[in-house]
Amino acid sequence: MTQAAVAPPEPPREQPRRDGEPRRPSSGSRWRRGLIALAFLAPALVMLGALVVYPMIYTIIRSLYDRTGDRFIGWENYVTMFTSDSTFTAIRNNIIWVLVAPIACTVLGLIFAVLLDKIRWSYAFKLIVFMPMAISMLAAGVIFRGMFQENPNLGVVNASLVAVNSVFSDDAAYPGARPREDQGIVADRGLVASEGEVATGSTQNFPLVGIRQTDLPPETGNAQEAQTPGNDEISGTVWLDVVPGGGGVDGELGDGKKGLPNIKVDAVAADGTIAASAETDADGRYTLSGLDPGSYRVALPASNFDEGYKGVSWLSASFITGVIILSYIWIWAGFAMVMISSGLSAMDRSLQEAARIDGASEWKVFTRITAPLLAPVLIVVFVTLIINVLKIFDLVYVIPPGASKPAANVIAVEMWTVSFGGGNDQGLGSALVVLLLVLVLPFMIINVRRFKQEREQ
Amino acid sequence: MATVTFENATRLYPGSSRPAVDSIDLTIEDGEFLVLVGPSGCGKSTTLRMLAGLEEVTSGSIHIGDRNVTDVPPKDRDIAMVFQNYALYPHMTVAENMGFALKIAGVPKEERAERVLEAAKMLDLEPYLARKPKALSGGQRQRVAMGRAIVRQPQVFLMDEPLSNLDAKLRVQTRTQIASLQRRLGITTVYVTHDQTEALTMGDRIAVLKDGVLQQVGTPRELYEAPTNVFVAGFIGSPAMNLFPADVADGGVRFGSMTVPVERASLADAGDSVTIGVRPEDVVVSRTGEGLRVDVDVVEELGADGYLYGHTEVNGNRVDIVARVDGRDHPDAGETVYITPEPHHLHVFDRESGERLVPPITD
Repeated sequence: MTQAAVAPPEPPREQPRRDGEPRRPSSGSRWRRGLIALAFLAPALVMLGALVVYPMIYTIIRSLYDRTGDRFIGWENYVTMFTSDSTFTAIRNNIIWVLVAPIACTVLGLIFAVLLDKIRWSYAFKLIVFMPMAISMLAAGVIFRGMFQENPNLGVVNASLVAVNSVFSDDAAYPGARPREDQGIVADRGLVASEGEVATGSTQNFPLVGIRQTDLPPETGNAQEAQTPGNDEISGTVWLDVVPGGGGVDGELGDGKKGLPNIKVDAVAADGTIAASAETDADGRYTLSGLDPGSYRVALPASNFDEGYKGVSWLSASFITGVIILSYIWIWAGFAMVMISSGLSAMDRSLQEAARIDGASEWKVFTRITAPLLAPVLIVVFVTLIINVLKIFDLVYVIPPGASKPAANVIAVEMWTVSFGGGNDQGLGSALVVLLLVLVLPFMIINVRRFKQEREQ
Repeated sequence: MATVTFENATRLYPGSSRPAVDSIDLTIEDGEFLVLVGPSGCGKSTTLRMLAGLEEVTSGSIHIGDRNVTDVPPKDRDIAMVFQNYALYPHMTVAENMGFALKIAGVPKEERAERVLEAAKMLDLEPYLARKPKALSGGQRQRVAMGRAIVRQPQVFLMDEPLSNLDAKLRVQTRTQIASLQRRLGITTVYVTHDQTEALTMGDRIAVLKDGVLQQVGTPRELYEAPTNVFVAGFIGSPAMNLFPADVADGGVRFGSMTVPVERASLADAGDSVTIGVRPEDVVVSRTGEGLRVDVDVVEELGADGYLYGHTEVNGNRVDIVARVDGRDHPDAGETVYITPEPHHLHVFDRESGERLVPPITD
């Protein structure tokens, strides 16, 4: 190509002024300019067309065909989409996502940015908060799934919940204990009680089995015969009715049978109220005293035997969306923080100083000066996150175990399931994608407009 | 209205060995206009910010009136500050900017509007009350910043180089406006500038700082006539005072071929040599005769006056000399002239410490 073809010679500047009218390019050169412009634009246009425009149009067309792709069915896919339950859950979950995740990320990011703004070593802290951004969503999903496992031995969250819980509540000492059969006591919905009513002044023993010797508390002594009860008392012994190594008579006290200390014992009156309660001593003996003469049912309440606190089933249908949103926040709060931090560092600090001198408290400085000035950045972060959240896929795909997958469904995952993951209906899948596109579009427009405005300023 | 007192106030930035402000003792009278002046990095802005509460006081204390404000946060000090870049809140209108402090203080809306309007009238800002700062010129922004301070009716005004972003002509105008406004309001004012002309024209008293140390406090006249050391002598006045070494002779100091008489008592501890200072207007230039021989390099004509720039040799070292000459009749470049000082206006300083040796002239 000659030089003239690339850049047509600039017409001499003086010429139009001498003529008194601007020189118009001749139709030939205008043609050539257009061609050159097109030549420069072509690579980008071809790429955009092949990678964005064509797939988009094809998807829209494909959504009007059935699963085979041969038969035109009009709006049918859209009708199916809006009448199916799983799409409905997906849309509902997407709404929850959009309402919770962007706000939470932005607010957290704002808090981190503002607080870290003033301290030394802030870069180290920012790096830590930002670090999850460097992890792939898939890996993050695996991490969170592990953390929220229900079994406290596997999931760190439940492990810490159980640990904290055991500090504040007395652990039930004898999970799994049950009464020795045919000894006048029965198990009843978790508790162990006398079969019939026991009169004051008599004794009620509780020989129990189903406890390992090794689970007994160290202070446990040999089970002893209870004291003879007074007229307003009922007494008895609770013991482990097993002799290590064998021997002894079932249901009777004897050598080697250990008392069960710290078991709560209630005297239940006929109307169901608890008339008295006591706790067994180291040798397993108890005395219920201060009773009105009469008969009572003696019961060892269920709190003695239940399994104790086992944590929350995080990955169950009721919590799963919350857990996934949490993992999303863990990743994206760092992004929000970095964006907002850069907004903060571009801000003129004397404004805050001026406000302080004007009598504003730190909180007022933040709400009246810092936050309004950060508004443009906050909006960009917020809108970007909304777009991001609408098309969330990886985390929702990875974290929930099979049983709670339907409850965690979102549009993008539904689209994948319907078209590739078993459904094999790419017509319906395309319709779902079109829905997603329609939802994302307004936010894209907002963001592009903002960028434009900023460039113009 | 209140006095302001610095007692040994020191600011040491963490990680630095030399304090930015080194035990300043300074009392500012009620209603006084005090200018803090010094070259950049001398700690004048830091001093002001300490008074504002924006910088911690490492040791010593600061009082406003009878109140010790050393550890009081800025919001409770009852002060108003005008920043170098004005620090106007960009998202508020002029009226909101000016009324912000009152709003924070919970002043009712009507009273607020009234006080803002009053201040706006004082500063010719009425037509701009509904505008955002972005839509104002530099001078208007500066007035809004002033207005924001005035509306407060604070105990003390602080101004941190408020004129440095204005063009030269506007700066001169605004200078007088601020000074007269301050006198009208009678509010104690601390004003920071690096410009000694601003300091001389505006201040009731001037405090000169260098490297965080207070050099001299006094009226413009005192500073001009009797600078306590070489630094103040060279800093105050434009063109700067001529300062050069001179030998001590019997009954005075050697000045070229002549001896300028100086009281014997003043020179008692001086040693062989002193630094002498002569302001350009106190230099007497003659084409012949006695004094220091000066080769004229250039003469600046300013109409009525002219400034003669020349050089001479003292003890083998080249020394530049500036002298004020008559605008109509003066030596030309290339000529050789002889200069002598007005004997009453000769400043003598110790060669080593730079401290003033002769007592101040009283006429």
